[in-house]
This record gives sequence, C-alpha cells and structure tokens, in this order.
Amino acid sequence: MFGELLLQADAIKGGVEAVWVLVVSFLIFFMQPGFALLEAGQVRAKNAGNVVMKNLTDWSLGVLVFFAVGAGVSAVAGFLTTPETAVDVGAAFSQFTTPSSWITWLFGAVFAMTAATIVSGAVAERMSYAAYVFYVIALVAVIYPVISGFAWGGDGLLSSAGYLGQLIGNTLGSDPVGYKDFAGATVVHALGGIAGLTAAYMVGPRKGRFDENGDPSPIPGHSMLFAVIGTLFLAFGWYAFNVGTQATVLSVEGGAVTAFQGDALGRVALNTTLAMGAGMVGSTLVTTFWEGKPDPLFGANGLLAGLVAITGACAHVSWAGAIFLGVVGGVQTPLVYRWVVESLGIDDVCGVFAVHGSAGFIGTILIPFFDVAGFSVAQLVMQITGSLVIGTWTVLTTMAVLLVADSVFGLRVSEQDELNGLDRVEHGVAAYPEFGENEGAVPDGGVATTAPTDDDVATDGGVPATDTTSAEDSPAETTETTTPDTTETTPDTDAAAGGEET
Amino acid sequence: MSDDSETDAELEMVVAIVRPERLGDIKTALAEVGAPSLTVSDVAGRGSQPEKIGQYRGEEYTVDLHQKTRIECVVADVPAEDVVDAIAGAAETGEAGDGKIFVLPVSDAYQIRTGATGTDAV
Repeated sequence: MFGELLLQADAIKGGVEAVWVLVVSFLIFFMQPGFALLEAGQVRAKNAGNVVMKNLTDWSLGVLVFFAVGAGVSAVAGFLTTPETAVDVGAAFSQFTTPSSWITWLFGAVFAMTAATIVSGAVAERMSYAAYVFYVIALVAVIYPVISGFAWGGDGLLSSAGYLGQLIGNTLGSDPVGYKDFAGATVVHALGGIAGLTAAYMVGPRKGRFDENGDPSPIPGHSMLFAVIGTLFLAFGWYAFNVGTQATVLSVEGGAVTAFQGDALGRVALNTTLAMGAGMVGSTLVTTFWEGKPDPLFGANGLLAGLVAITGACAHVSWAGAIFLGVVGGVQTPLVYRWVVESLGIDDVCGVFAVHGSAGFIGTILIPFFDVAGFSVAQLVMQITGSLVIGTWTVLTTMAVLLVADSVFGLRVSEQDELNGLDRVEHGVAAYPEFGENEGAVPDGGVATTAPTDDDVATDGGVPATDTTSAEDSPAETTETTTPDTTETTPDTDAAAGGEET
Repeated sequence: MSDDSETDAELEMVVAIVRPERLGDIKTALAEVGAPSLTVSDVAGRGSQPEKIGQYRGEEYTVDLHQKTRIECVVADVPAEDVVDAIAGAAETGEAGDGKIFVLPVSDAYQIRTGATGTDAV
C-alpha cells in the first residue's frame, strides 16, 4: 500500500513537471518568430530575407548540432571543471540512448538556440551567410555548451561544487558558492550579446554607418512595427524562459505530494512582469529627456533589456529588486547603445549588446544586493567572477572561430553585394518583390545605399544640414552620376560616358 | 497623326506637384472645371520647403526630399489656365511647400480602347 502511494506521488510529480517543461519548451521556441520579426524590422528591406534565413538556420541547424554535439559537450565541460568528478562520456551523450533524457534535452536545446539567434541581429546586413553558418555551428557545439555546463550542469566550474566555487568559498572563509543565474541572463543572453558585439567588431560596420570622420550616420530599419511586434512575441516566450526554469512545481515527501511550489513560481512570474514594465519605462524616460521624444524602438529594446536584467535574478530577488533591476536594464539600453556606436565605433545593428549583453551582466552581478537570501560578499565575488568567465570565454572563442571563418569563407559579402542587398546576392530573392527592384530607395525618396563616393550624402538620401553648397545644383542628377553603384545604374553610366566621348 | 487632330484645339499637359493631403480637394476642383481625368503618382522632391530632421535611435539626420503628389492632367477643349487655376486654388495653404504647376505642350494622344487620336483621345 505504502509502496503504491510512493509510486503514485512520484508519477504525479514526474508527469506534471514533464508536461510543464514540454509546454514551456514550446513557448520558448516561440521566441524564434519574435527574434525573426525584431531583427528583420531593424534592417533595410533588401536584407530582410537574409536575416530571417539566418534565424531559420540558427534554429534548424542548431537543434541538429546541439543533439549531436552540444548537449554532450555541456556535460563534459561540467565534469572536467569539478573536483573529484570522472568524465562519463556515456552519461554526457545520454540523448542518444536514454529516452528519459529527451525532455530535458529539448529544454536545454531551446535555451541554446536562443543564445545562437541573438548574434544574427548584430552582424546583419553585411556578414556572409556561409561564415555565419560556420559560426552558429561553433556556438551551438562548443561556445554555449561549455558555459551552460559550467553554470547549470549541477556541477561545473561556476557551481558550488566546481573549482571556482570552492576557491572563492575557501579564500573568503565561507561555504563554497555557486554562480547565480537562474534562467540565463548571462549564460544565454549576455553570451549571445557579447558574442554579437565581438562578431560585429570583427565583421566591421555596414557601408555608410560611419562617415570618413568616423561620425555615425543612422541607417533606419524598414519596419518599426515588425520590431515592436517581435519584441512582444519575445516577451511572451520569456515567461516560459523564466517561469519555466522553475521546473520543480511539486514537492514529494514520504510518498505523498506535500506541496505545490506556488510561491517560487509566483515570484519568478511577478518579477519577470515587473522588470519588463520597468525596463520599457526606464528606457523611454531616458529617450524622452535625452533625445527629446519617446522612442518606440528604444522602448521595445528597454522592455527586452528589463527582461534580460531580471532573467538571472527572478528566482532570487524581491519584487522591489525586480523593479530596480528592470529600470537599470532599461535605462542603460540607450546609453550603452550610444557608447558602443560612438566610443567603440562598432555597428551592432540591433543593439544586441545593449539589450542582451550589458543588461544581462549588470542584472546578474547585482543579484546579491537584492537577494532574499541576504547579501554575501562571496556571492558578489562569484557573480563578478562568473560574468568575467562567461564574457572572456565568449569573446576569445568568437574571435578564434571568426578568424577561421574569415580565412575559409570571408566574413563579409563584397561591397557591391552589400549595396545590392543580401537578399538578392545570397539567396536570389526579394522580401518585398512588388515594391520594385530598386530596394535602395527609402520612403523619403533618398537612395539609401548608393552613396559610397559621396560621403556627404546621408544614408536617407538627404544632405546633412551643414552642406549648403550643392543645394543650388540639381541634386538628383548629381547623385546619379557620382554614385554608379547599383547593377542597374552601372551600365547606364558607362554608356553615357562612352556616348560623350564619341 | 490623324487629320482629325489637326484642329485649332491644342493638347496640353498640366503637371502639378502638390501636398498629398490636398489631393481630395484638387480632384473636386478639377471635376468642377470639366477636367476630371487625371493620373496621380507619389513622388519626392525638394523646393522651398525647409528640410525636416529625422531621428533613429537618437541619431539625427536631415530629410530634405519631401513626400509630394504629382498630378498629370491632359486637356484639349478645357483651357489649361482653368485647370491650373483649379489646382492652384485647391492646393494652396500659404506655407512653403505648396508645390508647383507646369504646363507642357503635347504633340499627340492615342486612346488605346477606341483608337481615337488627338483631341478626341483625351
């Protein structure tokens, strides 16, 4: 009788939690269309198809690579960095043989693919598809799994059982500490964000993003609506990302289901909600007072940054802490974005470092200050150390992989191909074929990308306010003859020149 | 082309660049002077209207090509001056950027469905 009850309780717990984890995995998968819309909206129409192709590839190729390699590498990384732990390759690659590991594998896979798909937003509009695919394979096979193994494997370098956790505990005379990143603010998001920043640096800025003085010149994306709708899809999936990480929903004791973990689930759900609201409000306050107008794109970015900032902290902090972290995440978004552009000179198209990178690191490092378990110096040291490990590993491996990719494929498309748009040259398609062949045209009538020989022409086709000399001339003709950089105009210009000679 | 077209009436095209939001009134005014047929296209251009400042992610840029609507109206029996007056009256706001109107001679016309040419075609 007693045995039967025990079996029942375990089966109930196992069944309920398996269904819960499956449902949240499907919802985390729904972040993929969110990313696709968010990134596509922030690029020009001539590159929209390329961006969604990269997102499709992240997911599709990524799950295959994570099944074959990544999940096992993650476990091995945990074994190798934990004292007195043997490397058990069979256990590491249990997804090949053990049906009971498959739900857990899927749950891990949707997190890995979230990290992978962040990078495409940073390198959009100029990175070659082949080099990008090569990088995604490396990220899903090694770069991300090593970090998730360090932090989440149960053991691993950043856990309380790992070398670093033991070392920090011993040095500071406390118990060994484990790195706190509940749902992956750094393990997933900051990793993706700083990988994107590194990749954007390696690939170089888009043509026309900086003038010859190095001053930034904006290249507006083609759909604010896509960007904002994608953001809201992402926020929806984020509930599963954070709340679903609270995978234990029932307690079993003495053969009976004794408790429902409603408080833990509620804390994560509440903190996630408050932080996203605070992030959007924080970012909007900054743009309103700094730029003079509330900016919807930065508002959307701030909402996501608030989510990123709370992702590691949501199970650990009070609701007041969640609001504070959300505000910090939102407020830093426009500031860090501008710093990346103006001080670092890096063209991070979708601002993935400001949204996923810095927000993730800051939110995770601040956890000890708002921890309901109380402040601990050892924990703070562990948070900083863990963030440094994740950041350093990601930057170095990303650079190494991209150096290889550069020598094999070349990191970016040719100048001419960039001007024509990656949709046409990489995939032979147009995202909006009925809007005409000249995808360089922008709604105000300027020519967006055909101005490489005249750096005074802004990317929107307008002339900077300081340039008054050419205002009297015929600007349309000047633009055409000095910028023969689309496939359509090149032959015409050549013919015209030939005609004049004869 | 055809002998019929060699009459005293001349074909003229009135091309107007106007504010998009004035198009409805202009259509009404054209119908009132007996010249309801027109072709409309979206265009961008620069004239006396001052440039606008655009903003993306807090970075400013200037937009000096303004959205305009281009109206083409070919007339024969109705005097072009009436058409110009109708458009100008309906398009005017008094602010810089109201647009311009041009009158061009047209050498011939051909109606595709009927084969009519010259003044009969418009």
